[in-house]
Amino acid sequence: MLLSSGRIPAWKPTANPILGEPVSSITRDNHRRGCNPGLLLALVPAVLLALLMAALYVVPLPWRLTWPWVPSLGVEFALYVDGLSAQFLLLITGIGTMVFVYGAGYLAENPRRNRVFVLLLLFMAAMIGAVGSDNLLLLFVFWELTTVLSFLLIGVDHDQQASRKSAQQALLVTGSGGLFLLAGIILLGQIGGSYSLQTLLTQAPLLQEDSRLKAALTLIFIGAFCKSAQFPFHFWLPNAMSAPTPVSAYLHSATMVKLGIYLLARLDAAFSDLLFWQYALISTGTFTAVIAAIQTIRERDLKRILAWSTVATLGTLTMLIGLPGNSAALAVAVLFFAHALYKAPLFFVAGNLDHGVGTRAIDKLTGMRRYMPWTAIVALLAALSMAGLPLTFGFIAKGAIVHAKEQVDALQLVSYAAMFVNGVSVAVAAIAAIHIFWGRDRSPRQVQPHEVPVTMLLPPLILVVLGLLFGLVPTLVDPALGAAVHAMSPGFDITTVSESYEFLAVVKAMLGAILLGCVILLSWNRLDLLLRRVHRLHKIGPEAWYWRSLEFLPLLAARQTRLLQHGRLPYYLLTMIGAATLLILILLLAARPDWNWPDLQTLNAPVFGASLLIAAGALVAMFVRDHLVLLLVSGLVGYGCAVLFLFTGAPDVAFTQFAVETIFVVVVAAVLLRLRRTPLDMRAVSTEARLRPLALAVAIVFGASLTALVLLMSGLPFDSVLADFYGEQCL
Amino acid sequence: MIWAVALALGTVIAAGTYLLLSRDLLRCLIGLVLFGNGINLLLFTGGRLTSSLPPIIDAGETALAVTANPLPQALVLTAIVISFALMCFSLVLALQIIQLAGSDDVARLRASEPPSQDGIKPALEEPS
Repeated sequence: MLLSSGRIPAWKPTANPILGEPVSSITRDNHRRGCNPGLLLALVPAVLLALLMAALYVVPLPWRLTWPWVPSLGVEFALYVDGLSAQFLLLITGIGTMVFVYGAGYLAENPRRNRVFVLLLLFMAAMIGAVGSDNLLLLFVFWELTTVLSFLLIGVDHDQQASRKSAQQALLVTGSGGLFLLAGIILLGQIGGSYSLQTLLTQAPLLQEDSRLKAALTLIFIGAFCKSAQFPFHFWLPNAMSAPTPVSAYLHSATMVKLGIYLLARLDAAFSDLLFWQYALISTGTFTAVIAAIQTIRERDLKRILAWSTVATLGTLTMLIGLPGNSAALAVAVLFFAHALYKAPLFFVAGNLDHGVGTRAIDKLTGMRRYMPWTAIVALLAALSMAGLPLTFGFIAKGAIVHAKEQVDALQLVSYAAMFVNGVSVAVAAIAAIHIFWGRDRSPRQVQPHEVPVTMLLPPLILVVLGLLFGLVPTLVDPALGAAVHAMSPGFDITTVSESYEFLAVVKAMLGAILLGCVILLSWNRLDLLLRRVHRLHKIGPEAWYWRSLEFLPLLAARQTRLLQHGRLPYYLLTMIGAATLLILILLLAARPDWNWPDLQTLNAPVFGASLLIAAGALVAMFVRDHLVLLLVSGLVGYGCAVLFLFTGAPDVAFTQFAVETIFVVVVAAVLLRLRRTPLDMRAVSTEARLRPLALAVAIVFGASLTALVLLMSGLPFDSVLADFYGEQCL
Repeated sequence: MIWAVALALGTVIAAGTYLLLSRDLLRCLIGLVLFGNGINLLLFTGGRLTSSLPPIIDAGETALAVTANPLPQALVLTAIVISFALMCFSLVLALQIIQLAGSDDVARLRASEPPSQDGIKPALEEPS
């Protein structure tokens, strides 16, 4: 309907319908105009949201639900919802509702829209599970589920290489982070003796004494940093912006990337007084925020600008969790909420521009107010909150942050970094609200930009209006925030959020940020040019290392394959026998204290004779060249064995061996005769001269180790239970 | 007694291993036979060489008296027959391969894993 021009789609039709996944091939058939599943599916999160709010009013927190899951391992399907989880659940279902409504408009013409909706629903379920689970292993399962769904959603336009690469990158980075997390969880469970988060949190003093705690926390940090895009794992998030806008707004801004922050906030109650915890989080968070702020300036695509500013916010959240004190917990809770309420609408604005104009490049976007008045209003209101102007929820968040830093007198360096990050976020807000929508449209356009349908305007409008409402009447969110803060720092109860900071101090900080923001905005292009000059830095950045290792891996695999799969039989055998020898020798040497060599007993003439026959035959076989003689000599060994069996109580085995050996010699002789008549290009040498010493050495060591094995085994007491059993049962 | 058997066993295994590492396909096969004989001995001595009486229950008795251990005998008996079948099959296979390839040199029998052309991965098809 709105895409009649056909020039603008934010997606491309499937290039190869045959290669489309099963889901997409089903959905393509279902795709009809007028039947839009997005609006219908929006009912799911909406109903969940309503149920959740009703339950929050009726049933006091925390909620507990437990089913046995893997009883043999002591793993329970344990759900536990307290204030922090409830805050997340509200965001997941609330933003989810908006995303589905928005998606109904944004994906209306997309042949893969049903797939996106199904994946989004699954993702929502996984998120609810992740923030609701009390058992760490259960949390991990849901955590990985969100990783996989994020991969599928980023790669939804799988016919485009950029999409595939971004999806792969997100999966590799967050997925391998998940493995670190699993290791950390298991270690933490070993230390605390339980996988239940609540049990672990109550045992915090005990945990802090354990020397393994630092290792466990480091592993968990890596997992959380990968998920929440902290340096040096931050690069995947901006690349993930190749996903459709509803996906970016939902997964990569409002919910999934905050899962790492959620886990850290969860553990904050137990470890916030550890210096290690504080240093790690404050330094990583601050550094990430600064790096992201610098990267923001280098971007020209609105969506990527927003992505980098999301990374900066995630860094700020990490830093706040690292700050000790109750006001820091409050700041975390407020910033969670405020960020979701202004960043999701801004992503929607980027999507609207994509839809209505066909580009997100800020150089080509000016004066869009004339064509898209409603989007302009949304952008303006969201930007006000992002810049932290008074009367918005963003202002309250800023107040809480300023207050949290005052409480602990944070390092001067952290304050400067925060100021710079704030300045950049003001500049980003100004670009989104003013640069794009005001001024004159000077870019030459073939197609007139147009306003987007109401389904794409209503969700961001609702969110920004909510942001304004909460800013004007903060008492509305007090109960939710109070419960969340209570979960993060037990024993701290706030009554009103709005009174927890000094108005003047915040205004001062805000004015500084706005001033800096204006400077950055005005010199955006110059800064960009300046940063381009230090572009070299990129070559040593973590993303460069990511690509390098991605190229290195197949090379390594090829090298290793060439090394191990060389196709030369003697060397294969040498490897196998050598490895077996090594294994036997290691085991023998490990059992050294129990070594008990058997005595030289009286000679049993027939057995001795047989052994002599065997050994002589074997020795001669090694040096015989002629095949026929070799065959006869090997027959000698076989007969020797038969004689040995005969005189050690196994006459039936002996007769079998005699028979088999005789027939075998006949068969081989027949084959040899046939072979004599076959003309061969080249007769093989017996053993490659180069290999001969090595082969001889390996053969001798292997034979000697087996001899030692047999001798030492005979020194051990014999357990005859099996032989006795058959002795009794065979009649 | 066990010393003699153990040394013989070691010699057979060593000889078998050495022959297996040869480039001559037939020598490899004979090596495999020797190797198998050595392993049979290993199995057999694992049950201890305690008695030279065969494990036969006398008439009127219901349980086995003190005789040789029957369990490894059963295992070795099976192993002998199986290795005989395997050897015969391998021989015919070797004969066929030698006649087809015109060589009994294992270093030249590389149809399944031809030497790599580009230095990275083996070529998919044998260059004829």
